[in-house]
Amino acid sequence: MLRHVIIGNGIAGVSAAEAIRSLAPDAAITFIAREQQLPYSRPMISQVLAATADFSQLPLRPSDYYEQLRAEALTGQEAVAIDWEARTVETDRGAKVPFERLLIASGADPRRLKVDGANSRGVFTMRKAEDVHQILGAIKGARHALVLGGGLVGFKAAYGLLRRGLAVTMLIRSNHPLAMQVDAEAGAIIQGELERHGLTVQVGVEVTAIESDRLGRVARAQLSTGQALDCQMVVVGKGVWPSVKFLGQDRVRVDAGIVVDDHLQTSAEGVYAAGDVAEHFDSARGERWVNAIWPVAVEMGRIAGMNMAGRSVVYRGSLSRNVIRIFDIDVLTAGLVNPPASPEYEVLAARDLRRRTYRKLVFREDFLVGAALVGHMEQGGVLMNAIAGRIPVDKDRERLLEPGFNYASLAPMRRVVKSEW
Amino acid sequence: MKTVLVHPERCVGCMQCMPACATAHSRAKTLFLATIEEPRPQPRIHLGAGPAGEGFPNRCRHCDPAPCMLACLAGAIRRDTSANTVLIDPDLCINCASCAMACPFGVIRYHQDFAAPPGKVVAVKCDNCLERQDQGLVPACVETCAVGALTFEEPTAAFRRETERVTARLLIAMEAAMRPASVGFELLLQGKRAAVAMNPPRA
Ligand SMILES: Cc1cc2nc3c(=O)[nH]c(=O)nc-3n(C[C@H](O)[C@H](O)[C@H](O)COP(=O)(O)OP(=O)(O)OC[C@H]3O[C@@H](n4cnc5c(N)ncnc54)[C@H](O)[C@@H]3O)c2cc1C
Ligand code: SF4
Repeated sequence: MLRHVIIGNGIAGVSAAEAIRSLAPDAAITFIAREQQLPYSRPMISQVLAATADFSQLPLRPSDYYEQLRAEALTGQEAVAIDWEARTVETDRGAKVPFERLLIASGADPRRLKVDGANSRGVFTMRKAEDVHQILGAIKGARHALVLGGGLVGFKAAYGLLRRGLAVTMLIRSNHPLAMQVDAEAGAIIQGELERHGLTVQVGVEVTAIESDRLGRVARAQLSTGQALDCQMVVVGKGVWPSVKFLGQDRVRVDAGIVVDDHLQTSAEGVYAAGDVAEHFDSARGERWVNAIWPVAVEMGRIAGMNMAGRSVVYRGSLSRNVIRIFDIDVLTAGLVNPPASPEYEVLAARDLRRRTYRKLVFREDFLVGAALVGHMEQGGVLMNAIAGRIPVDKDRERLLEPGFNYASLAPMRRVVKSEW
Repeated sequence: MKTVLVHPERCVGCMQCMPACATAHSRAKTLFLATIEEPRPQPRIHLGAGPAGEGFPNRCRHCDPAPCMLACLAGAIRRDTSANTVLIDPDLCINCASCAMACPFGVIRYHQDFAAPPGKVVAVKCDNCLERQDQGLVPACVETCAVGALTFEEPTAAFRRETERVTARLLIAMEAAMRPASVGFELLLQGKRAAVAMNPPRA
């Protein structure tokens, strides 16, 4: 009976625990979880901010989840250190939890703002349910909010605050929103859509300092343009860092995330990592990469759990992908959307500016390696699986751009596969 | 357990399955009344066209494990194991379209539905007509298909053997075709396995 310890009860940790339990009915499973709540939908906290869901809708598992799973849960406790000789995890409450197999599924923490005044009251990040709780508590006294960062979380924060009746200004360092996901052309469509719905968007700008009033509350932000903006709230959405403080030095290799092998084991024997904290391999980019998204956390969690329980399962790498609805337009991206300028890549694009739709496909050799769809994204999964499965698309590539594109359009490629045996 | 089998080579592209499906998922359940209903009933089976315009009835394969279920951010998708059916709960769905990105077959649509809270757009897909099955009826698409491109059958042992044989070969072929580090591999193969189960190639 092996002792499995899981740090973090996010979706990666939960998926792993469920995989362990399904393969090893007698295994001991212990969660160490900093947040008190039952496992919940982290992405949905932005729905709570926007008042399209409430806190009671966040849990993803029943209230007797841990009993049902026959797992021990040390919730509200943070792992602070690992004793590698004794093979125990120490928590901030002084518990020493012994493990034979350890999963690090501690996710990621928001990057903090590093300017003067960044700790003023009214400066928030949006990563956990408690953050949204605090933002909602501060909304009443606020008229104007700044959102720093034009990524997915930044947009979701801005959208929620706008829906709550605040004036919202998004300050984006890049030259267009969602710069990590889309190209300039799609970015321009998105920016137009944001502005059409009443968000103020400033690109190519950063906050250089935050000033507070006598009570320590946010009052004004100084910008890199020399401009100053009055505001009563700031939400920082500048990406995340893997949560690895408790790891200490050099026992476990950490790069942009905890480096894991194809069985999701770290450089330390019997220690695994999965989810936002883990760095494996991005198959479209062809290099080691952290894809900090929900479906990847689920896949990695399941596979880590199976390996921990003794079944050898190989993880084949992940693919970055995102889908977001921005008011009336949908944006779906997968794989490598902004390829390096090189003759290796072929890019096809189609646009209908009146309908505000845009499709871009990126090919390398015989394979689709990236796709961005603005509008009409129902077939995105077909493209995403063509990328992930490396299904050769060697002729009639333009067909994939057509609005009527569907699974059957891939038929000749399926025939290629069939004729191979 | 009987399941819907798709035989694309028999499909003549008449599109009858689509209104039949929409009607089965309307409040009124009759074609005439369904056409004037609000929200407008929509099909969950979609006639895709191949490169030469050949019809391809495309519907949810109820994959196991289902990529949409693993991708769902709201826990709105579950498997009814007794009916071997993947179902979306319209009350829990938050219309995030995470499932659109996961479905290898592109069969999920987003719109209002009479079974969803009024005014709410939700993810919608084939539910194997469980409601009709409870009444002893076959799924609506099967009932309406005049050429036998959609059938509702007990997969026989011979059929299953054939499927397994083909699946094994397909998986080997695909594995050979794929480079080691391809993603969602497992999920894709699940999809393929399901596709093969649905569309056993004629030898
Ligand atoms: C607002 C928002 C919207 C998002 N929207 C989407 C979306 O639409 N689509 C998508 O794919 N992804 C989205 N994401 C990303 C998605 O939420 C993450 O990829 C996913 O939650 C990762 O799961 P995880 O289990 O790896 O990590 P987490 O969910 O971060 O869970 C890790 C858990 O470990 C705990 N922990 C950390 N350190 C310790 C410690 N030392 N001791 C004990 N416990 C610890 C943390 O408190 C946390 O509860 C969104 C994220 C946010 C914040
Ligand atoms: S659209 Fe609905 S069913 Fe699909 S992933 Fe989102 S919440 Fe789940």
